Amino acid sequence: MPKIEVPENIFYELLGKRMSDDELVDIFPVAKAELDGHDTDNHVIKIELNDTNRPDLWSAAGVARALKCYETGKIPSYEFFSSAECEKNSEGRMIVNDESVVGIRDYSIGFAARGKVVDNELLVNLIQSQEKLCTNFGRKRKTIAMGIYRSELIKYPVHYAAVDPDKTKFVPLGMDEELSLREICEKHPKGKEYGHIVSSFSRFPYLYDDNGDTLSFPPVINSARIGAVEIGDSDFFIEVSGPILDDLLLAVSILSCDMADMGFEILPVKVRFAKDTPYGREITVPYRFQKPMTASLELVHHKLGEVLSEKECVEAMQRMGVKATVNDGVITVQVPEYRNDFLHGVDIVEDVMIGHGLASFEPVMPKDFTIGRLSPVEEFSRKVKGILVGLGFQEMMYNYLGSKREYIDNMHVSGDNAVFIANPMSENYEVIRPSILPCLLESESVSGHAVYPHSIFEIGKITVKDDSDNSGTRTIDSFGFFSSDVAIGYNDAASYINTLMYFLRKEYTLKEVDGDPRFIPGRAAQIIYKGESVGIFGETHPQVLESWGCSMPSIMAEIDLNKLMK
Amino acid sequence: MDIDVKNLHPLEVKLLRYVNAGEDITEEKIISGLGYKVGQCNQAFSWLTTKGCLEEVSRTKKTVYELTETGRSMGAEGVPAERIYAFLKEKGAFTMPEIAEALSLEKSDVGSAFGLLSSKGALRLNDERKAEVAGELPEEIKMQHAILEKAAVDGSLDESTLSEAERKAIAPLAKKRGASSSPFRIQERDVVVYRLTAAGEDVKDAVIKANITGEEFGVLTPQMIQSGAWKNGSFRPYGINAPTSRLIPGRRNAYSEYLQWVKDKLISLGFEEFDGPLVENEFWNGDALFMPQFHSARDIHDVYYVKDPVHAKEIEEPWLSQVAATHENGWKTGSRGWGYTFDHEFTRRQVLRSQGTVLSAHQLTKAHIPGKYFGVVRCFRYDQVDATHGADFYQTEGIVIGKDVNLRNLLGLLKMFAEEIAGAEEVKYVPGYFPFTEPSIEVHIKHPVLGWFELGGSGIFRPEVTEPLGIKEPVLAWGLGIDRMALMHLGLNDLRELFTPDIESVRTRRGN
Repeated sequence: MPKIEVPENIFYELLGKRMSDDELVDIFPVAKAELDGHDTDNHVIKIELNDTNRPDLWSAAGVARALKCYETGKIPSYEFFSSAECEKNSEGRMIVNDESVVGIRDYSIGFAARGKVVDNELLVNLIQSQEKLCTNFGRKRKTIAMGIYRSELIKYPVHYAAVDPDKTKFVPLGMDEELSLREICEKHPKGKEYGHIVSSFSRFPYLYDDNGDTLSFPPVINSARIGAVEIGDSDFFIEVSGPILDDLLLAVSILSCDMADMGFEILPVKVRFAKDTPYGREITVPYRFQKPMTASLELVHHKLGEVLSEKECVEAMQRMGVKATVNDGVITVQVPEYRNDFLHGVDIVEDVMIGHGLASFEPVMPKDFTIGRLSPVEEFSRKVKGILVGLGFQEMMYNYLGSKREYIDNMHVSGDNAVFIANPMSENYEVIRPSILPCLLESESVSGHAVYPHSIFEIGKITVKDDSDNSGTRTIDSFGFFSSDVAIGYNDAASYINTLMYFLRKEYTLKEVDGDPRFIPGRAAQIIYKGESVGIFGETHPQVLESWGCSMPSIMAEIDLNKLMK
Repeated sequence: MDIDVKNLHPLEVKLLRYVNAGEDITEEKIISGLGYKVGQCNQAFSWLTTKGCLEEVSRTKKTVYELTETGRSMGAEGVPAERIYAFLKEKGAFTMPEIAEALSLEKSDVGSAFGLLSSKGALRLNDERKAEVAGELPEEIKMQHAILEKAAVDGSLDESTLSEAERKAIAPLAKKRGASSSPFRIQERDVVVYRLTAAGEDVKDAVIKANITGEEFGVLTPQMIQSGAWKNGSFRPYGINAPTSRLIPGRRNAYSEYLQWVKDKLISLGFEEFDGPLVENEFWNGDALFMPQFHSARDIHDVYYVKDPVHAKEIEEPWLSQVAATHENGWKTGSRGWGYTFDHEFTRRQVLRSQGTVLSAHQLTKAHIPGKYFGVVRCFRYDQVDATHGADFYQTEGIVIGKDVNLRNLLGLLKMFAEEIAGAEEVKYVPGYFPFTEPSIEVHIKHPVLGWFELGGSGIFRPEVTEPLGIKEPVLAWGLGIDRMALMHLGLNDLRELFTPDIESVRTRRGN
């Protein structure tokens, strides 16, 4: 979940008023936001945003806009957007995408802004919005990278091309020597962090103006001159690059609306693409690309369980900042420039719900009659548990992830049947348990202080490899027990098994076990049920006890409940 | 008085009944009066003193001569000097070795006895260097014999009861410690005199009043029942508040019992349980839930990948094609889809189930309508393990399918969970966000102990989730965060404790 930190006065200014923390807590849910904290010493409000498909809400301006709309029902209008029908004047500002970028990082688009001198707070806030968009929405710059530049130093048109990474050199931000693009990837901190996005290509993306001055090496680093924005600047050029055009258009829309809300004048920039797009080869940005979305009133009624009038729906949408009209029982919404989360009519339904007020919907129970039922394995497990408890055993519960040392090495087994994790976080959690027995032995190894005898059991899942399954693995509902005491042996284990099987009404036979390193040779048996081995029991081999650091003789057993239930 | 007379041991009862206020109470008195053994007597004194019924009024030292095994046989056979004298008097003169041989004595003993007797003029050596009688047996030797016989009665002699002559006679026979070769061992003993305290008098009165004699039956034996002996007396009443011994029963695990309780609650509300394997693939773990393949929650840092086999063999049709088309362009769901090219290899990649909703998606393909389903299922999340994050943990999830189920039903359902399962005092709903539901609702509750917290997330499955899996009807989906309530129920504050291997900790754990 994205979290943002907003200077109080910027936030209140955008809201148009001060609000107490209690008021914020009450109203935040309409933006799926939570007040994460309020640092009154540093005058910073912390906000957590829950909607990962609404990047427009990940900024002070975005949250303030949503709250203001909700309270006033007034939808802000942004006049600087071009569209397929209407093109705004770009006054000679232009980005030209060269064909060389196609297949590497296809698009670069941008806009300019002026009219407000940035102070420290505003600059920090602007960079935070940029970072949220590039990191969370742009997947760590993979799909969106953004640069902010000093507009007055740029000679338009700006050129976006893929160039030779060894021959192209400039002084990157944060350094004072000239480096090639490849050297930046190797030496600059940002190069090390983001260079991998493009370093597999033979040519790297490069942004420069008509004088040949460098703007940046997207998605890695700005130049130290045009790309060095400072406090006191008031004229900016904002450029966004990436492989998915709609995501770039949305990012530009969000940032331009945010900056307009902060008092900037937004200046359109014409973009010439290097390939065909759904919007043509040339558009003027910011550009409204969203198509209207519809939902029938019937869908609204069906989903929400309440009949809302046309007027109620339109007003609800308006509180969500969305222009809506109703014709012939169908709501048509004009998707706001800064949103692109309307995939289906149900997305309109949710906005109607929030705009209308969730509290106004009365809870009511579903009318359908259904029968409650436990799963067969749960029912069978409960029988087994009842018998084991009667035999004096303590039920245990364990984690399913553990280390190779515990699950395999300490058991003296090969581990060929164990399912390992390809990307373990630590070696303590690198394999799914292939058996319950190591868990029971772990208990024994940490419970020397507990009064003997130790009689414990667990019913839980284990996973082993199994070629016959589509996944190549099989998850088994397994039952294991373990008992240790000064005088305990095979006969005790056999008696427990016999008692259990008697009360479960399972006829079984035993078969000698050959070469299972977990048990003392000649003191273990396989349990055969309906012609199939369903489990094993016997005296724990002292080599296993030694590996676990245990010194009390013990017996143990494990049974496949799925097979025994048959 | 805070002593329950029923808790008194018979040794204490009998002693209290026997003694009177103001009189001296000694070991001797109790042993002779009640027939206690020394050990029993000491126990009774010690217990009653601790309880404040007796107090020590004086303590004096006394010396006691304890008869040793050597002393005992000497008393029976006679002291060596006496035996040598009697032998020579009867049989005539003999050499020292002959005497030792005849009487089975050590040569050194014969030598020292001869030395003593000759110095008193009772024996002498003749010309043949044989010993012979020369006079009367000395009084001292006679007295030694008498002392040994006297000591044989009680096994010991109190020094204060001996005459001056007896003291002289016993001196050479006694040693301070060890030396069992001496007939007597000298012991220093304390003589303690006790008196009944005021509290002791009260207890004594209470004992008499309660008609406890100390002769009551203790344990009822099978023999007593068979013989009818129990009819001839009464039973000693036991103190009902005496400390109990610890029993270790066979028991269910307290956390598992809690989960069972949750399951039973859901069963009682008409839900049917589902379950599934731990290894899933990206298709069911995310694609089927309409999470785009590039969604940040599907990153390598959020999901555990299976090392081998890396991929499932196949994804079931028609689900695969329908889901893939939905991602790409919305298929027939009325959605515009995510607008990217669905990756058919990625979708087969195997992962450990990261969310319980995966099983809800599976259930859609086999659900009855109307239907209510749930699962309490283990999930795996790529998280640093700490007090609030486990490597694997339980999620409680479910769905409700019905022709006309809607938001208001969802709110009703959440209210029911909040009240029935969480014991909520107040319920609050707020809009939420999940990639697979729209609308999405979070339910917050005010719990009597925990205060306000988020009980769970829910929503109506997106048509992009249900329709590709063959369901036309609306589906309400919900998940409850019950671990927090489980911790509270068990009095714990660390999630790792739920799966502790420590036997003692599990044995003593109990729910509220």
